[in-house]
Amino acid sequence: MKNNIRIERAIKEITQAELADQVGVSRQTINSIESNKYIPSTLLALKIARVFGKSVEEIFQLEKNDL
Amino acid sequence: MRTNYLFPFYSRWLGIGLILVHVPIKFWWDSRYPEGYSHMNPGTPETNSFLFSPPHLFFIGTTLMVLIGLFLIAFSRERVEDEQITQLRLDSLRWAIYLNYALLLFSLVFTHGGESDHILVLNIWLPLLFFILRFQWVLYRLNRSARSHDSDTTL
Repeated sequence: MKNNIRIERAIKEITQAELADQVGVSRQTINSIESNKYIPSTLLALKIARVFGKSVEEIFQLEKNDL
Repeated sequence: MRTNYLFPFYSRWLGIGLILVHVPIKFWWDSRYPEGYSHMNPGTPETNSFLFSPPHLFFIGTTLMVLIGLFLIAFSRERVEDEQITQLRLDSLRWAIYLNYALLLFSLVFTHGGESDHILVLNIWLPLLFFILRFQWVLYRLNRSARSHDSDTTL
């Protein structure tokens, strides 16, 4: 699963730490998600999408090997 | 909200303190009784005389200190105990169980009698130690990885 959190952060001009604070996780977790090393739970994905004011599908996308 | 039954963050310092305090006490006891007390282990014919005798109480006391110390270190919350940490914790616990049982099976096959008793005694604290080492190692790697991306955090 890939995501465009890094791009969305740049658009919104917030740091990993600020995003982490807003969704209640550590900065390391945001970093892991951005680097595709960790797949967040549905709850966390929804919270992240809400911060950017977008739907989950706009932030997270399935890749070919996920299908 | 998820309940994760962990001790508060500061408990780890209490755990480390208990283990550190145990070291000089053990040294003092060993210097006072250099012959040790293994010859009076429970299960021998002297069991009744050993039970709750000073060496036995000392054994119980020091073992409890180490065990409670390891337990507090292993199961205290991280500063931010989020879902990734929970997953790393569970992964580490699984590896600790794998390693522990691998060692147990190995000792079951290749040792017998009194030797296997030592492995069983080690099993009191070995799973906790495996877990702590593995968990701290993955946390260290996680932090190092995040630090290497520090330039991104400014944007």
